[in-house]
Amino acid sequence: MLILRFIPIALLALTCDADAGPSEAATEQVRAQLIASVDAVRPGDTIQAGVHQEIIPHWHTYWINPGDSGLATRIDYDLPAGATAGPIQWPTPGRITLGPVTNYGYEHEVTLLSSIKVPEDAIVGGVFPIKAKVKWLVCEEICIPQRVELALDLPVVAPGQDQGRGSELVGKAQASLPVASPWPVSVTSGNNGLTLRITDTGLQPDNIKNIWFYPSEWGRIVHNADQPRLVGGGTIELKLQPGDDAPTASGGRLNGVLAVTENGSDGPVTRGFIINAPVSAAAVDSAPAAEPDLALSSALILALLGGVILNLMPCVFPVLSIKALSLAKHAHQNPLQTRLHGLAYTLGVLFSFALLGSLLNVLKASGAQIGWGFQFQSPLFVLAVAYLMFAVGLSLSGVFSIGGSVTSIGSSLAEKPGYTGSFFTGVLATVVATPCTAPLMGAAIGFALAQPPLVLLAVFLSLGLGLALPYLLLSLWPFLQRCLPKPGLWMERVKQGLAFPMYAAAVWLVWVLAQQAGNDSVAVALGGMVTIAFAAWLYESTKTGGSAVRHSGEGLAALALAVALTGGYFGVEASFAAKTRSSTASADNHWEPYSAERLNALRAEGKPVFLNFTAAWCISCLVNEKVALSQRSVIDAFRQSGITYLKGDWTNRDVEITRILAKFGRSGVPLYVYYPGGAAASPVVLPQILTPAVVTQFIKASARAVSQS
Amino acid sequence: MFLNQPYRSAIMGLAFALASTAALAAPVVSQPAPVFSGTAADGSTVNLAGLRGKTVVLEWTNHECPFVVKHYESGNIPNLQKDAVAKGIVWLQVISSAPGKQGYIDGETAKKLNADRGATPTNTVFDPDGKIGNLYEATNTPQFFIINPEGVLVYKGGIDSIPSADIEDIAKAENYVSAALAELAAGKPVTKSSTKPYGCTVKYSG
Repeated sequence: MLILRFIPIALLALTCDADAGPSEAATEQVRAQLIASVDAVRPGDTIQAGVHQEIIPHWHTYWINPGDSGLATRIDYDLPAGATAGPIQWPTPGRITLGPVTNYGYEHEVTLLSSIKVPEDAIVGGVFPIKAKVKWLVCEEICIPQRVELALDLPVVAPGQDQGRGSELVGKAQASLPVASPWPVSVTSGNNGLTLRITDTGLQPDNIKNIWFYPSEWGRIVHNADQPRLVGGGTIELKLQPGDDAPTASGGRLNGVLAVTENGSDGPVTRGFIINAPVSAAAVDSAPAAEPDLALSSALILALLGGVILNLMPCVFPVLSIKALSLAKHAHQNPLQTRLHGLAYTLGVLFSFALLGSLLNVLKASGAQIGWGFQFQSPLFVLAVAYLMFAVGLSLSGVFSIGGSVTSIGSSLAEKPGYTGSFFTGVLATVVATPCTAPLMGAAIGFALAQPPLVLLAVFLSLGLGLALPYLLLSLWPFLQRCLPKPGLWMERVKQGLAFPMYAAAVWLVWVLAQQAGNDSVAVALGGMVTIAFAAWLYESTKTGGSAVRHSGEGLAALALAVALTGGYFGVEASFAAKTRSSTASADNHWEPYSAERLNALRAEGKPVFLNFTAAWCISCLVNEKVALSQRSVIDAFRQSGITYLKGDWTNRDVEITRILAKFGRSGVPLYVYYPGGAAASPVVLPQILTPAVVTQFIKASARAVSQS
Repeated sequence: MFLNQPYRSAIMGLAFALASTAALAAPVVSQPAPVFSGTAADGSTVNLAGLRGKTVVLEWTNHECPFVVKHYESGNIPNLQKDAVAKGIVWLQVISSAPGKQGYIDGETAKKLNADRGATPTNTVFDPDGKIGNLYEATNTPQFFIINPEGVLVYKGGIDSIPSADIEDIAKAENYVSAALAELAAGKPVTKSSTKPYGCTVKYSG
């Protein structure tokens, strides 16, 4: 009795050709239809054909990996000699859970496409028969294996002749296929299982409703295990529980589809991304509980050593040598004072490092994506430090000095007789040391950043202590001071010579600035430096004059300095903004920003227009742009049809765009609208999920409609 | 050097640790098999711990599942049972179908069904509340677990290498269960000790 269920129940025969089998068949649960992307084939064509399944509610058929149970649908094509069929292109599946069992499959409907190559020797005027034996398992709670045989005859037409539009289900199916991940994907394997990581997405977590990884093979992961995820800072991370046949870091790969469901303007939209990534060993498996002390102590020692080495860095060395030289000068005067200076300096360094550590802790707690040297991500900070380096260099060169007893700005604070001076030398040393720390201190700081706040602070303080250590030792032990060379004219020469590393550091920073904020910022920075040099010269040359001369000199110098700083601020900001703008525009320079005036003007001329309303936080928008709208085929199609592509950015809820969204009955993005040529043509709204084929078909279809009307 | 990676890993690790403690301890090949006891078709109580010293085969089944039908109609599973029982192996059918679900039967029906199908398992164990099924994380019918005389799990997975509902595929497929039993009898380790089961979902309650 049960065996009856194996017998196909072909109820419908809708094809027009009486010789061929039916193109459609139905069982109690599934209606299957053989479809193709064309109505006629030409010799040598590659077409898409496939089986469309319409499944009654609560029942499902299966994906290539059915999950814990079930069976993938199978299609065996029977084609004329010389023709070939490719593998099934599986749409992004869904998850069907029944108690502890998790399955991957399709509910309601699905189309399973394959590429079919028509042989070169297909005879024009004849038919190209496609026969398919289709077997599937359809399950609700109970499962029924079913099979049908379908056939479709397509006339063979001469090359160059119209193939017709085929079934519209093909385009729909193509839109449901997973696409290559436009973002870097990595998979690591460690004690905590497998971690799937997608980076640089620039996506906001708020819009993401669900994320699920579907492995394309059995046993790779435990199908019914949770996939805890972390979304933020442009990164999506999923923890996967390894299955009985999990890929390992030694040559294993993880294949499958990552399905991301996002709240779209018309309800949730799911998009699949193809994952095919080698598995690498997890770099640091999150702090194993057994040995945190060892790791902490070695990190502390590493940080201390790194701090000591920092003294030799080109940005730090000059500042400290001056301090050391002044020590040599006064060494024999008062040992106690010398020691207190050393302690004040150490305090200054430690204070600065504690401040930096706390700042990092705060930023970390707020979830910002930061790393050591995070302050250097700000072009303004880079500019400020470049100015500082340059000013210190000028001072070392002897262009100017502040006050009577002091000789340079590098030591304006540093050589203040009070302990405050020593304290600020410490602060200065920290500020100038930061650019040098990143390459050197990677390991220890990387460790620190992964640790609780107190540990992070400890590592930072250790780093600071290392930086302060040489000078501290020098100030504490008179014995060491005696080893310093005797003061003399050579000190002046050394000091002047040390200006050059400072200039070099400034040059490097300007280069960094150019990377961050574009070429214009270089002119701004160098102009600012000339102004600073002018201010320094003015200040120095009027210093010895009468009170009136001195005051006007100081005033002018201050004014010049203010000009340099504000000019630098606004200049770099503007340059940065321009760079950001041009980089987005140059990446796809085939579009123009949307404005209602521009649209109206183009429409009035009867020009075809493609509208794209997008937002930086909308995944579908970004993916559609990457996989469809910036593809060569689409850009070419736009160009050929003379379409102007307008893009509206709704990231900040622009009122004008909100209005046009409402006009199309949408409350959010994405929205894609195509206005065919001709002032009277009515606009067509495209689906929310685009492929190059979907876009080009819409353009072609509209063109045809217009030419026929 | 960036914060995000290690920091995130730490959080993820924690989340994962919490998640995995909640998950069941899956039966692991070459580890002691989880012990259970259950009511059998003949009214007796079958206790796995009491079967030490014998090789035990657990076969999750549901007589209405087309995949089970495939392997019974063809004589595939009855033949395996006959060979195994003749060699002193304890072959237990396990039925985890909940009351009212497909495959849920009483002892008399189970005996009659086996007689009709020429099936000769040692016994049939009923697991209507799914406890044994959950213990073994059984997901499919048919699905097999083989436990050696020391009580160690030596095989878990499907019956053969071709997942399909077609009887004609049986001859072409590699039978994992008979291969495992042969290796076990020869004192060799089981080569394919964990395979993909295929079939119907076990009809647990809820």
